[in-house]
Amino acid sequence: MIDVNAFLFSVLVFSLIMNLGISLYGIFWRPSLVKKIIALTILGDTANVLAIVVGYRAWIAPNRPPIPPVLTTWKPTATDLSKFSSLAVDPLPQALVLTAVVIGLAVTVFLVFLTIQVYRLHGTTDVRKIAKLKG
Amino acid sequence: MEAGILTIGALAPILVVLAFILPLLGIFIKRKIFFHAYAVVVTALIAAATTYNLIVVWREGPQLYAFGGWPPPLGISYEVDALGAVLGALTAWVMLFIAIYSRWYMDKETGIPYYYTLLLGLEAGLIGCIYTGDVFNLFVMLEVLSISAYGLVGFHRGRAEAVEAAVKYGIIGAAATTVYFIALVFIYGSYGTLNMADLAIKARVMAVATPFSGGYYGNIAVAAALAVALSLWVFTYKSALFPNHFWLPDAHPEAPTPVSAALSGLVVNIGAYAVMRFLYTMFGSNSVLTVAKYPFRDIILWALLILGIVSGLVGALMMIVQEDIKRLLAYSTVSHIGLVFMGLSLGFSTVPLAATQEALTASLYHLINHSVGKALLFMAAGIFIGIAGTRKLDGLAGSGRKAPLATAAFFIGFLQLMGLPPLGGFFSKFLLYSAFMEAGMPIVAVLVVIISAISVLGYAKAMYSVWFRPSAKEFENVTGITLPTAVVLLLAVACVGLGIAAPYLTSALSTTIANSLMSKGVLSYIQAFLKTINYLSPP
Repeated sequence: MIDVNAFLFSVLVFSLIMNLGISLYGIFWRPSLVKKIIALTILGDTANVLAIVVGYRAWIAPNRPPIPPVLTTWKPTATDLSKFSSLAVDPLPQALVLTAVVIGLAVTVFLVFLTIQVYRLHGTTDVRKIAKLKG
Repeated sequence: MEAGILTIGALAPILVVLAFILPLLGIFIKRKIFFHAYAVVVTALIAAATTYNLIVVWREGPQLYAFGGWPPPLGISYEVDALGAVLGALTAWVMLFIAIYSRWYMDKETGIPYYYTLLLGLEAGLIGCIYTGDVFNLFVMLEVLSISAYGLVGFHRGRAEAVEAAVKYGIIGAAATTVYFIALVFIYGSYGTLNMADLAIKARVMAVATPFSGGYYGNIAVAAALAVALSLWVFTYKSALFPNHFWLPDAHPEAPTPVSAALSGLVVNIGAYAVMRFLYTMFGSNSVLTVAKYPFRDIILWALLILGIVSGLVGALMMIVQEDIKRLLAYSTVSHIGLVFMGLSLGFSTVPLAATQEALTASLYHLINHSVGKALLFMAAGIFIGIAGTRKLDGLAGSGRKAPLATAAFFIGFLQLMGLPPLGGFFSKFLLYSAFMEAGMPIVAVLVVIISAISVLGYAKAMYSVWFRPSAKEFENVTGITLPTAVVLLLAVACVGLGIAAPYLTSALSTTIANSLMSKGVLSYIQAFLKTINYLSPP
């Protein structure tokens, strides 16, 4: 009997490392600016998935998933709070990812515009040719 | 809690608002003078506020502002200690001079509202990076800073070289900040907190009960090592330490001249500052990085020392062969940031604490000297470029004779960076030298002298071209350079002042370092944090 969870987890870790390698290769060695930007978004997404994995909380029991981090009692007592913290998911990694996604969008849009401008001025997005044109 | 705390927390957000309202105002207001005045007024206010913060922090110790009243480490908090206050005031004052200078330089250009949006955004990022007490907020502010910097480098968007330099800087820079985010994920996954003071407590495994941050997960030494290793690459990229300096000689010269002054004088400081925060405040000499079986912190500091030396040498050597004055100044930045990193890496466990403190003081002093001197040089070079219409040293020959006062300031700036005795550069280099002697590393101490000696060749070449070399053609008499000349002269006076006040400044900066990076300072940093928790959390 295969442990499905352990198997899936190792697939996840493997794919994260692969993605990291592919994106760094793309950013540093691919000559096309467009492909560099695509690799950059892959790197950003890898970092985001990593953050989400860190915030993952295993199920407390086979039929009891963790609860959303929302306190539903109006005046919680100490027992309420400790019960809540033993069940709830940590919301912070998701908040971090949300911020990082927004920032990543802004940076990507900016770089795409710069690339368009490079294409207008140089007629190519190949960094080797651009370096040669400059002389 | 007094007003000092509000000027810490409100500064960066207010600056962001003031910066990004400008494109909107640009729709309704067409007069350029409004935007020039706006930028000068805003930067002057920020300079006043940061000076006020410096006074408050100097008198009362580290100050903390918790956003939204959340007790730290739950919310974002800004925490300013002596080091942050000094660098914040330096940034704001140099930025004020840059804004005044922009009045002259940018007057012929179009798109003034966008220029000031980016410039004030850059200042918001700089102040935010220096004042923040939260490593994730440091990431956000680093991005604010970086995007403004990419935009400013490519500001002349019709110039092929400018756009190319911006895209080169931007793509690797965006990858670098993402790598910093990965480092933060490791920190959060293992320590369960992102607050700098809380991390300082937890990395030292102190027995302090912080009510909100929880325990550890996994191997904290490995996580700290990974996070520090990843983030150091980012910080050395941002401060252009060898071998991550490749973008700087392209990016800094292509930006408009006032922006070159800001990038070379202020943005590179952030990397050095963040390294100090990471390796002294958070993962200091008694943290898990040292206690672990392998002395990882010492290895990192050795690596930084070697990179600092190589960076100093490469910058100084490359300066000699440059034909473009702004490229020459850009390589000089690489050289000086190497010296700064040499100073801040002298914190090995084998080095006596007095030597560490002296080296850090020298590092901070040199950062200040370099910021003022390099801003002055770029702005003075901008005047000569305006006269000669070219950045090539050949074309600039003799252009200084049309602006003798600016040339005087230009020479003082070079002598400052070269390290001539009455000026500040001499005292910081001498302090660095004596710190290495005290630490028992005479070879490195001699290397400081060698780096300075090699760089003299490059500086002499620039000075010779601007004044002594006979000009190939007759330049027209220039008018309307009173304002930029006044700015560079004021900065020259600041250079002389930094040198004359050396005995006082050395002791003041030494106290600054003792109050922020040495063990006593870290303790007061942590105490301010604990005090705020007690103040804000209900009993």
